Amino acid sequence: MDPGFPLRYVRDDSRVCGAIGFALALACFVLQPSPAFADIKSGTEFLSPDMRRQQADETRNPAFFWVEQGRELFSRKPTPDGQACASCHAEPQQSLRGAATHYPQVDAASGKLLNLEGRIEQCRVERQGQPAFGYESPELLAMTAYLGSLSRGLPMDVKTDGAAKPYYEAGRAFFERRQGQLNLSCQQCHDGLVGQKLRGDTISHSAGTGYPAYRLEWNDVGSLHRRLRACSLGVRATQFDYGSPEYLALELFLAGRARGLPVETPGIRR
Amino acid sequence: MSSVISPRSRRSEAGPDRRSVLAGAAAGLLVATLPARAATDISPERAQLIARITEGALPERGRITLDIPALVENGNSVDTRILVESAMTEADHVRWIHLIAEKNPFPDMARFHLGPRAGRAEVATTLRLSQSQTVTAVAALSGGGFVMADADIVVTLSACIDGG
Amino acid sequence: MSFNARITLPAQARVGEIVEIKVLTRHPMDRGGQSDGKGGTVPRMILNRLTATYAGEPIFRLDMHTGVSANPFVSFTTRAVATGDIVFEWREDGGATYTRTARLTVT
Repeated sequence: MDPGFPLRYVRDDSRVCGAIGFALALACFVLQPSPAFADIKSGTEFLSPDMRRQQADETRNPAFFWVEQGRELFSRKPTPDGQACASCHAEPQQSLRGAATHYPQVDAASGKLLNLEGRIEQCRVERQGQPAFGYESPELLAMTAYLGSLSRGLPMDVKTDGAAKPYYEAGRAFFERRQGQLNLSCQQCHDGLVGQKLRGDTISHSAGTGYPAYRLEWNDVGSLHRRLRACSLGVRATQFDYGSPEYLALELFLAGRARGLPVETPGIRR
Repeated sequence: MSSVISPRSRRSEAGPDRRSVLAGAAAGLLVATLPARAATDISPERAQLIARITEGALPERGRITLDIPALVENGNSVDTRILVESAMTEADHVRWIHLIAEKNPFPDMARFHLGPRAGRAEVATTLRLSQSQTVTAVAALSGGGFVMADADIVVTLSACIDGG
Repeated sequence: MSFNARITLPAQARVGEIVEIKVLTRHPMDRGGQSDGKGGTVPRMILNRLTATYAGEPIFRLDMHTGVSANPFVSFTTRAVATGDIVFEWREDGGATYTRTARLTVT
């Protein structure tokens, strides 16, 4: 066997590669028109059939461990004389079914935008009198994954008008604004280049409907904001804090854009 | 090429232009997607890794199926299933199945110990692959022999990195 | 809760039937060697062995190294002989062990 074969193969194709590279670069700078929201596809559509099967299969999807942990936390009293979540939210399979489809939402009392994580922390601090779990703590991920799983299969349905409108518009502006050293907006890839390859991955619509999700790259379950931080890092832009106003507004915009798509929490992603 | 200037010196004078950087990156991508070699060849390094666990014997190919994706989406978790044709009786069964990733920092990945009570020599697990490479499954038979199967795997995102 | 396991097997089986046992485990399977940020490295911390006994008799053992993924999935088979407990035991680096039990009903 000729050991030089692979090298020669590369050299012969370098012109083609150059052309592909140039086309990719060009595509990056040509802003495609936004698709109608009805065209938005869930992240699952961009997974291999194997990963789709695993996501649906409780015997294979590791994220169900977090759901199980969340279910236990939900019914456990934080202190012997304290109240468990289940003390108020009895029968969560019915009473909280669909709740996650309405987040992020504006908190009526404070006027602030809360995502599911924020609502859980608010309940924990204000109603249970406990210290907050902390964003991205295993406990908060478990609780969020559990509450998300209670809406699995139900269509996303967030409010984007009324009190939510300024947040939604801020999220849209964030999505459309060029950022970072690569000077890319979210929209350029997640509307304009959907289905194309970025490293070994396929660019999705960033529906975010599977989060918290088990991501193979993390070997772990993480929140949507962890994923957004990875996006910011990817275009070498500022990484905002977990739960920051910027990511909350973006989360609302993505959720509004994904209206009608089923909740897939806990998802599996690459 | 007719130019007497070596690529290295030319680059230091002019610097890489955008197109050559892009072409280089694309060529790098192509290298990563090419199989390293045909699975029928066994490199001396891999032969040594195999001989270590077979008391020097070179296993026969056949009777064993290694079901693993040729193109891995993420090396952190690679679905792998191994099936050995065996009666799985007291007299004729698979003693163990051993998995080797030649280019992992620790090539030995796992060893499944089986016996006649298994009924069937079929096991599965999720592996971690550091890069594109050949994965080898070796099965030890109760009669003293060994069989093996291997597969060239392309890993697009390797294990052990976190891009954020 | 760094360890947990989900064991899946048929609710019941006939005598002599070969059943597949699926085991999904929650464990980081930390391969070690990364910087700990203090000039040292993180030690390896993986589950290095899984054993299964069926009605007290060993039926399966898996030796695991760093090439097994985080939160690993494992499946194997056994021939149903009689109703009994299948006991799974994991051994972790450092010597800790975890056990889980699943019952196989044989008709």
